[in-house]
Amino acid sequence: MTLLARAGLFLVLLGLWEAVGRASNPLLAVPPSAVLPALRDLLLLRSYPDLPANVLLTVREIAMAYALAVVAGLACGFALGFNRLIGRAWGPMIAALYAVPAVVWYPSLMLFFGLDAASKIAFGFLLGFFPVTLAVLAGIRQVNPHLVTVARAYGAGPLTVFGRVMVPAMLFTLVGGLRTALALAVVGVIVGEILGSKRGMGALINHAYGLLRTADYVALVLVTLALVVGSDVVASLAERRALKWSE
Amino acid sequence: MTAPDRLIAVERVTKRYATSSGPVEALHDVSLTVGEGEFCTLIGPSGCGKSTLLGMLGGLVHPDSGRVLVDARPVTGPDPRRVATVFQDPGLFPWRTVLENVEFGLELGGSAAARRRAIATELLPPLGLKGFAEKYPRELSGGMKQRVAIGRALAIDTKILLMDEPFGALDEQTRVLMGEWLLDIWRRTRKTVIFVTHSLHEALFLSTRIAVMTARPGRIKSVLDLPLDYPRSMESPELVALRAKLWGEIREESLRAMQ
Ligand SMILES: Nc1ncnc2c1ncn2[C@@H]1O[C@H](COP(=O)(O)OP(=O)(O)OP(=O)(O)O)[C@@H](O)[C@H]1O
Ligand SMILES: [Mg+2]
Repeated sequence: MTLLARAGLFLVLLGLWEAVGRASNPLLAVPPSAVLPALRDLLLLRSYPDLPANVLLTVREIAMAYALAVVAGLACGFALGFNRLIGRAWGPMIAALYAVPAVVWYPSLMLFFGLDAASKIAFGFLLGFFPVTLAVLAGIRQVNPHLVTVARAYGAGPLTVFGRVMVPAMLFTLVGGLRTALALAVVGVIVGEILGSKRGMGALINHAYGLLRTADYVALVLVTLALVVGSDVVASLAERRALKWSE
Repeated sequence: MTAPDRLIAVERVTKRYATSSGPVEALHDVSLTVGEGEFCTLIGPSGCGKSTLLGMLGGLVHPDSGRVLVDARPVTGPDPRRVATVFQDPGLFPWRTVLENVEFGLELGGSAAARRRAIATELLPPLGLKGFAEKYPRELSGGMKQRVAIGRALAIDTKILLMDEPFGALDEQTRVLMGEWLLDIWRRTRKTVIFVTHSLHEALFLSTRIAVMTARPGRIKSVLDLPLDYPRSMESPELVALRAKLWGEIREESLRAMQ
């Protein structure tokens, strides 16, 4: 039922888009009838033969940025969370930094890391790092101290308490943070590529857009969208698995 | 070896908690000995330090002065090989099923998966949890949660069992049945039980000794021995007399606690 309703709404929107596209300047408002052939050409590697290499590069940058963000975010979050003194001094700072629109850092990242993959990874990392750290900090605060006491009574040492009580108790918040971080790492890398790069999906998008190849541009955006949605689907599957008990 | 009548010895223990409104003295100069195989009940007004005292026996709370001995050795920390605790707040792990919660202590003790599963599965029916093995705590009633916590403590089969108001969340009828069930386990296993309750009936029905505590700061006001056979009848003249005596002692302290 909802599926049918969604499909219906989708078709209505497509129709509207088509009508508006035809009525106005087709170069700016590309109608779906123009996008479809462009998408076909794109996927058959006619318009951009180097699409696979660029997709691969973007995916690799995202994976790298995300992995770094997770590792650093977890380390930083636990270090701040377990060390009350440092945590009190730095916790609010992290939250404040997170509130700064991250794009302001990008020019300096490009200066520092150059125009290639490194600066994109750094930007994706920067966006992904904060939600992981903040999720760890929030998660630690959520652990019910009584459960730690119970575990200690049953013989748990610090490591066991960490693995059997803290991590599962934090999981809900932690997984939410990890998922947000993935989405943001994807945004960071692609925005980085659009703002200045010769390769990667963002660079292709920029190219098509710059040459006013609007239909190609939309097709590229659709492929990117598929990438983003795909990563979020994987993340949500992992999330559901991890949180089986709370359903 | 310990003298069997001094399996547990609390010697002149005092405990103060630091709170935002200054120190609170929870226990003041408390001494108590419990012999092997006894069923010793602590009873006293709310806030008199019963949970604190159990915490000390379990190695989770450290006395400011005095000492606590189990098996003639000073308690320095939790020792799940000898002492199992049922807490006042059941404290189940919400991400573990009923069965996994019952298995928790065995798992930490390193027993094999098949073995701990067998032990835990066997415990569920007498706890009235048959058919709930795969449920998660949030699907259980308060009383059922408390029974899972009892199962978790029984599973590690220790010599000493500390129970902090384990039947507090149960309705009166279930409470009586659980009391009978516990009595049965205790008589079969000869465990030493330290039991906290607010119910005179429960205390009289189960205990070999009852320690009455004073209002805060908690002290041992008096210790009653109950050399009576089981199962007990509340109508027996001895128990009626003991009940009157116990009520007198507790009434006084409850009145003081409320002032
Ligand atoms: N961690 C703590 N920090 C500060 N004060 C505490 C702490 N634990 C207990 N207290 C105080 O110590 C006193 C004794 O508490 P305890 O929990 O041992 O009482 P209790 O006899 O078990 O009460 P109840 O019958 O209500 O369970 C209370 O006044 C309580 O407020
Ligand atoms: Mg208590």
